Amino acid sequence: MNLSRSSMWFVAPAVFLMFILLIAPVFVAAILSFTDYSLGNPDFNWVGFKNYAAMAKYSAYKKMFSASLLYVIIVVPVSVLLGLGAAMLISSLRFGGEAYKAIFFLPVMATLLAMAIVWEFTLDPIVGVVNAYLTRGCDVGWWYQFISGAWYGADPTTSWYGNGCNEGFPLWIGDKDYALFTIAFIGVWQAFGFNMVLYLAGLTSIPRELYAAAAMDGADSAWERFKLVTWPMLGPTHVFVITITSIRSFQVFDTVEALTRGGPSKSTYMMVYAMYEKGIQQNLVGIGAAITVVFLVFVLALTLTQVYFVNRKVHYS
Amino acid sequence: MASIRLESITKAFGRTQVLNGIDLDIADGEFLTLVGPSGCGKSTLLRIIAGLEKQSGGDVNIDGKTVNDIRPSRRDLAMVFQSYALYPHLTVRQNLATPLQLRDMTFTERLPIIGRLAPGYSGKRAAIRDAVKNVSDTLQIEHLLDRKPGQLSGGQRQRIALGRAMVRDPAGFLMDEPLSNLDAALRVHMRAELSALHRSLGTTFVYVTHDQAEALTMSDRMAVMMDGEILQLGEPDEVYQQPMDIRVARFVGSPQINIVTGDMDDDGRIAFLGVKLARRPSDGTTGRISIGLRPEHLYLHPHTPGKTFCGELVYKENLGSEVFLYIKVADTEDNIIIRVNPTEAQSIALGDETHIAHEPGKALIFNDQGRRITLAGSPLGEDAA
Repeated sequence: MNLSRSSMWFVAPAVFLMFILLIAPVFVAAILSFTDYSLGNPDFNWVGFKNYAAMAKYSAYKKMFSASLLYVIIVVPVSVLLGLGAAMLISSLRFGGEAYKAIFFLPVMATLLAMAIVWEFTLDPIVGVVNAYLTRGCDVGWWYQFISGAWYGADPTTSWYGNGCNEGFPLWIGDKDYALFTIAFIGVWQAFGFNMVLYLAGLTSIPRELYAAAAMDGADSAWERFKLVTWPMLGPTHVFVITITSIRSFQVFDTVEALTRGGPSKSTYMMVYAMYEKGIQQNLVGIGAAITVVFLVFVLALTLTQVYFVNRKVHYS
Repeated sequence: MASIRLESITKAFGRTQVLNGIDLDIADGEFLTLVGPSGCGKSTLLRIIAGLEKQSGGDVNIDGKTVNDIRPSRRDLAMVFQSYALYPHLTVRQNLATPLQLRDMTFTERLPIIGRLAPGYSGKRAAIRDAVKNVSDTLQIEHLLDRKPGQLSGGQRQRIALGRAMVRDPAGFLMDEPLSNLDAALRVHMRAELSALHRSLGTTFVYVTHDQAEALTMSDRMAVMMDGEILQLGEPDEVYQQPMDIRVARFVGSPQINIVTGDMDDDGRIAFLGVKLARRPSDGTTGRISIGLRPEHLYLHPHTPGKTFCGELVYKENLGSEVFLYIKVADTEDNIIIRVNPTEAQSIALGDETHIAHEPGKALIFNDQGRRITLAGSPLGEDAA
């Protein structure tokens, strides 16, 4: 056995495991997406692109795509900007930064499923504290005036708050106009602590001398220094944070499963939940696999875009 | 053009006192070097002049005006940093233009697209372009203008940093160890270039370094700092030849000055290693004394009692044009270093016993506090031995 042959034997186990554990499942899912296989059946039929055609045809899947995209479009920018803002505020503190870090990081550490249950109670239209306090606020004159806009002359009853006082406040996760935004709010609440930690790491890696140079060059306001130094120097961090947050947002499942189960009227029917519902609950493995493949394409496209187009611009050396 | 005057500047970080009352007058157009070991407070002092750091006490005056509460950018000083601190996402051209854009263009004019509509935009734009061109001509960096700092070598980045400082035509330059990230050959080359630049600009340079060679070669005057104080301020020659403090003597000069302890006999004559000096302290000093002898003031000499001391050659450091001999002398902690020419060096071998004499008048005497002692009958500078 010559030397080059023996090296192949050394890498073979690793390659084999990588193929079996990481690559093969994707191929299996891709193959299953062209079948009508159900778990437990002895065999299956090839159905060609029928599963994919169904996705294009039925409105439930259209709602799935729009709900997933809307969720990502809300959660990514808001949690990224909040994370950056929190990180910059914390890094400007002389003391107490550690405490803030720990507090903002709590939702990241906590199990989202367990937290979802807490949110469910909080947002419950009857026993939940949110609506209870909103309702109680209707009787507090100055608060009502302030929040309904009456203080600058608007008609309080036409405002969102005034309307709520009269007609009742939203059901939040039970209302199809509010459910997605409520889930997205919880998503932001959960995600921004993680982004904050990543940005804190990014901020510490900015050389202090650059700020000194900016101060000498005449970047006198905080905004100028942010524009000239902080924002561009965080380039690699931005790419990483946005990629990770996008992928994690596409993957949202716990809150949907615990709070809305895709409803009301499919307004929160997100992709991973749809996979679960079709593939596991209804045992329609074929269509579940097709959703998985589309999901993977989305995530892959997102990642590749960032690698090839953005990454090139933000690594300056 | 600016003169800079520091009046009893103090600085403390928490309980750590970094600067203890620095007084310094920097003349208009002068090249002044602040030199000292790391941690002596020289960079902090420079940052206080720049306005990047607020002093705990004392005043900074530029051209007679107190600038304590004036922003760094309004002090009309430019700074060159050790790490160059170029903006890595901007091209060299943009890096050079940034200080001018921030100073001369309003917020609206600097906005992308909308800025073009502002009156005076194109005129300012052209002025900045000309200024960038002038500076890049002077420094010969035109061919680098469209590259980013990451694509440049250390020496090129150094030039760009210099250019960014020059482009505003400031009244003074502050330089914080600008050459210390360069390789040895380039550093020597840049010393000459910086000196030439200083001469052609005629502007005040305040230069911070830990390298005594840079201080000796470039400055009009150098201030040796240690432990938050200026130990000695003077022209390089003066500081080298007449150090007023044993710490200055040790810091300035490479290889280091030889320090040996000496005795004083009953009638006040100084003796070390069996050698007696002819002159006595002018001021009845007693106690332990130290004698400083520069390597170039020692030479090999046939054994002469009362004039030479002896030791064993342990190491030869050959620099080509000259050779430093490291000689182990009984009763001294460090080896004595002497400078000889290569022919002389060939005449002795490692392990040989050698006899050394010193040039009369060159011994520097320090008392037990490390202060310089003058010797009787000789003005400072002609200590006869």
